[in-house]
Amino acid sequence: MTEAVNAAPYGRDRRPFLRRLASASEPYLYSAPALILIVTVMLVPLVIGISYAFRDITLLDPFSGGFIGLDHFRALAKDKTFWQALKNTVYWTGYSVALQFCLGLILALLLDKPFRGRGLAQALCFLPWAVPSFLSGLNWAMLFNPIVGPIPHWLFGLGLMDAPDNLLSSPDHAMWGPIIANVWWGIPFFAITLLAALQSIPRDLYEAAAIDGATPFQRFRSITLPFLAPTIAITVMLRTVWIANFADLIVVMTNGGPADRTQIVASYIFTTAFRRLDFGYASAIAMVLLALLLVYSMLIVLLRQTLLRER
Amino acid sequence: MASIDIKDVRKAYGSVKILHGVDLTIQDGEFVVLVGPSGCGKSTLLRMIAGLEDISAGEIKIGGKRVNELDPKDRDIAMVFQSYALYPHMTVAGNMSYSLRLRKTAKEKIASAISGAAEKLSLTPLMERRPKALSGGQRQRVAMGRAIVRSPKAFLFDEPLSNLDARLREHMRGEIKKLHQDLGATSIYVTHDQIEAMTLADRIVAMNAGIVQQVGSPLDLYDRPANLFVAGFMGSPAMNMFEGTYRATDGAPRVELGQGVTVALAGPASTADGARVTLGIRPEHVVVGKNEPESIPAQIDLVEPTGFGTILHANAFGSDVKAFSLERGLAARGDTVSVSFPVERIHLFDTTTGSRIG
Ligand SMILES: Nc1ncnc2c1ncn2[C@@H]1O[C@H](COP(=O)(O)OP(=O)(O)O)[C@@H](O)[C@H]1O
Ligand SMILES: [Mg+2]
Repeated sequence: MTEAVNAAPYGRDRRPFLRRLASASEPYLYSAPALILIVTVMLVPLVIGISYAFRDITLLDPFSGGFIGLDHFRALAKDKTFWQALKNTVYWTGYSVALQFCLGLILALLLDKPFRGRGLAQALCFLPWAVPSFLSGLNWAMLFNPIVGPIPHWLFGLGLMDAPDNLLSSPDHAMWGPIIANVWWGIPFFAITLLAALQSIPRDLYEAAAIDGATPFQRFRSITLPFLAPTIAITVMLRTVWIANFADLIVVMTNGGPADRTQIVASYIFTTAFRRLDFGYASAIAMVLLALLLVYSMLIVLLRQTLLRER
Repeated sequence: MASIDIKDVRKAYGSVKILHGVDLTIQDGEFVVLVGPSGCGKSTLLRMIAGLEDISAGEIKIGGKRVNELDPKDRDIAMVFQSYALYPHMTVAGNMSYSLRLRKTAKEKIASAISGAAEKLSLTPLMERRPKALSGGQRQRVAMGRAIVRSPKAFLFDEPLSNLDARLREHMRGEIKKLHQDLGATSIYVTHDQIEAMTLADRIVAMNAGIVQQVGSPLDLYDRPANLFVAGFMGSPAMNMFEGTYRATDGAPRVELGQGVTVALAGPASTADGARVTLGIRPEHVVVGKNEPESIPAQIDLVEPTGFGTILHANAFGSDVKAFSLERGLAARGDTVSVSFPVERIHLFDTTTGSRIG
């Protein structure tokens, strides 16, 4: 870099051409490995993937591969399963994020107070995060299974169910199975990030508020919440995008069934691509999902900016 | 406004004892300064009065009413924190009115209370700003404003000026004193800065290691420190201290300082002949240059001009003797001079117990 700085900006550079070339290309050479890596592993697959949406790509059809314009999108607009999946996605994402957030916040608030054995409690609470999602899906599927799992019997015992049936095969409530598994699995994410944000709030603010006469709830509202708001905005956004795209638990626990009642867009993409092997159509669905999530993220980023400016 | 009674108050964190029984009565309207080195337990005591720390033992009364079990909000006190602890998401007006809003005070009353306080502290043009957009001194004033809008029974200050630069600190010191003269509210002020303590206090409470060392008016503490700690802590440059042996034979009480130097005392001390004692004399009381019969030969090691005066470091009887003089050019480095200690200015302490004996 010093070479580049030394290259005299005034008058003609008298160094040999090769030296000048070398110093001019120096910054590019330094950043080349990272750039090449990013382009090959991120941009190339992205562009190829997007191009699939406009082509007819079916794995088992040797004559496919032609450019078909917006045909996939026209088909998509009339695809009942897709619209159902979109609704299911909102339901699945909305409840999962809301419950994960509320329970994660409560957990973070509890872990923020000093008590004996807090270190151990923290470690235990963060454990679900370390369980592979696939494994936790299988586990919860077993728990919901009346033959091997206890949950249907408990629900029956509590009078919440007419008979100890499998929740996952009930057309009206099957979605709650993966949602519950997802909530259990995702609480630590919110607990960890919110706890970190909580611990950065100066303690004397709470003391000043206590002297000013604020009840614990008023302190939470006028100090904790404004401090947490930017973190909440960014974590909720990340989680929403992540969960909307997160098909593992659904594929493992219900595989979209019964009768597509738990099919979300992401699992529909998965089914279309890897079961029906229609990569073109799957890619078109994925693009719609991408566009929706981009719009959503933009809104949240704007919200966060206004919140941060408030500080 | 109210008086505050502190009776044998103790504090321990687990097995670590922080305060070892503090007794103190603060009169209605009095300005009391708790002063002592960092970590001596001043903040802990203040926070116990505020209700932010549990009281391990003893009793605190505000306005004659026991408050040990009361929440901070029910003690009707206001506190100014070292960090100011302003609510960053509220404007200056919001910060100042928060306590009143929580108490569901009428809107007009709130408006008049905060505009009155803002006027007193010249905050009026800043009312719609957030703390982030204020300078240190302005934040400090907002913190004061937040305290005074409520007209509480007592004000508690925990090193409120420590985060300001020297100039501003001096200015705010004056403001706080004026404010107290205006409002006449009972105030407890914690600081480690003895100048702040001297200038602000009606009464100073000097603390060290969780024990009250001396309580008295600023000049009391300065002129008659009760022990070595207070003598060394109050005053800058610090008091000269010399160890020696007390002699009271043949009716002339005196202290032998070594190398054959003996200093006469005004009267007998309350200790036995031959006891180890520490003789203290403030630098501004050391007389340099006059050849009196009692004077001690000394050599100037170091001259520190402060502008206001000069601090001379002299070597006499194997010790460093500091002298402060308003005169300039009294002596230069390497000069041989004579120093003397006027008898009426000498403090005498028992070296082992540290208490004043004459
Ligand atoms: N929560 C606590 N747990 C244990 N020790 C504490 C705690 N708070 C303060 N201390 C100790 O109490 C002593 C007095 O602290 P403090 O009152 O803050 O001193 P200062 O006179 O500087 O204000 C210090 O030695 C400090 O380490
Ligand atoms: Mg302190």
